[in-house]
Amino acid sequence: MADAAICLRGVRKRFHYDKRRASSIRQTFIRVILRRPIAPRPTGFRIQSIDLLVRKGEAVALIGGNGAGKSTLLRLIAGIYEFTEGEVRVQGRLAPVLQLGAGFHPELSGLDNVFIYGALLGISRKELADRMKGILEFSEIGDALRMPLKHYSSGMQARLALGVALSSQPDVLMVDEALSVGDESFRKRVLDYLRDFHGRGNTLLFVSHNLRDAGEICPRTIWLEDGRLVMDGETSSVLEEYRRVKTLVASPDR
Amino acid sequence: MISRLHEAWRNRELIYVLAVRNMKVKYQQSALGLIWTFFNPIMTLGILMIVFTRVARIPIENYWAFLLSGYFVWNFVSQGLTAATFVLSDHRTMIRNARFPSDAPVLAATFSRLLEFLIAFALVVILIAAFHHGRLVASFLLLPLLLVLQLLLTVGLALPVAAMGVFYYDVRHMLPVALTALFYITPIFYSVRLVPEGLMPLYAINPLAHLLGAYQTVLYDGAVPAASALATLSLISIGAFFLGYAVFNRFRPIFAEVV
Repeated sequence: MADAAICLRGVRKRFHYDKRRASSIRQTFIRVILRRPIAPRPTGFRIQSIDLLVRKGEAVALIGGNGAGKSTLLRLIAGIYEFTEGEVRVQGRLAPVLQLGAGFHPELSGLDNVFIYGALLGISRKELADRMKGILEFSEIGDALRMPLKHYSSGMQARLALGVALSSQPDVLMVDEALSVGDESFRKRVLDYLRDFHGRGNTLLFVSHNLRDAGEICPRTIWLEDGRLVMDGETSSVLEEYRRVKTLVASPDR
Repeated sequence: MISRLHEAWRNRELIYVLAVRNMKVKYQQSALGLIWTFFNPIMTLGILMIVFTRVARIPIENYWAFLLSGYFVWNFVSQGLTAATFVLSDHRTMIRNARFPSDAPVLAATFSRLLEFLIAFALVVILIAAFHHGRLVASFLLLPLLLVLQLLLTVGLALPVAAMGVFYYDVRHMLPVALTALFYITPIFYSVRLVPEGLMPLYAINPLAHLLGAYQTVLYDGAVPAASALATLSLISIGAFFLGYAVFNRFRPIFAEVV
């Protein structure tokens, strides 16, 4: 499919060890060494046969309860986790922003951290230096750039991290929990940026913990529960159904 | 395997950035900086000097020169292994949230100590040349080769230790014990020539014995090691490097899940 940005076919993911079984982590180690199949007693699939096609230029929100598999799915697409079965294809430069500032060190200056985070995301030092102006503009860090990161507010840290991630000029952007830090004006600025990013014909996959955010930028929403696609469609109808089911589930106990 | 090496080379920028990060974090907040790095080895060296020249006398002429020719090498290797036990847990957020080769933090942990080692080692070479030999010795030309083998061996041992450290926190408790044992069974403060014939096969098993032996021959004796000794050391170091990578690579796909 030529116009596919993200394409998943029959993707299943089983974790290599079960967190509930204390000894399994050791067993995993031994099994890897001996080249035995990992997980003798299957731990169950966290992602169950997902087919998903995101076309170039689409903006898609991902919703679902805690433990639905949203972050796992993003990690599979980003290539951080290996999938157990199926096929994952991404076309174009992908920037996964799963946790803002992964690898930030509080004792180092903002500038040092820009280069560390950039290197982690695979942006070369030359590219970073060239785009430093843009990063500074986006993050509005100003003179604080040379201060240790521990003196930054969480909003400043988030802005700096997002500025670095966006400086790679990705074709496909995946964002998780980016809006949970920072204040209302940061949230608004990020939403503006994402809308603009999408408007320029780029692809966006966005995990939304706040249903309001999903509706603001993404025409299409995917609802994930227990590692399965529950619903995939126009944002307003998916959100409506999601709210209806969630109130149904919540009410019988009361 | 070759492709992994190629990948490591392509990721040299990341390794460099991570190594500089380690060094900056280490020196950022300490007023005396480098002095602390050398405080421990200098104290240990002082004690070893007194004990083995005044108390339990080891019959080696210019004992200080002998001790110096191996001690910092040992220090580099043992610190590299100690750092490896927790390096992947320390980089947990990175490993779980970005796609990058997980051997980079292990290599960076080794390389971030290289500068300190080279400073100390340059001093050692100058001291030995000036006060032990009284001149520069031709065998010193072999030092760059030994340094490369030392790095290959350290990385080769550190990679499996790092992988194990993810699965067993016991490694953090076990390694210091193993290093203490290794300090005594490796010819660091005594010469391998003092080892009785009957124990020699056992000494040959210890890869560090070969490395330290080569350094002592080159620096203290001012001689070129036997071709067979150099060949053995090269084989061990290169073998350890590839074996270490092979073990590490087997675990690589699941670090993000387990760490």
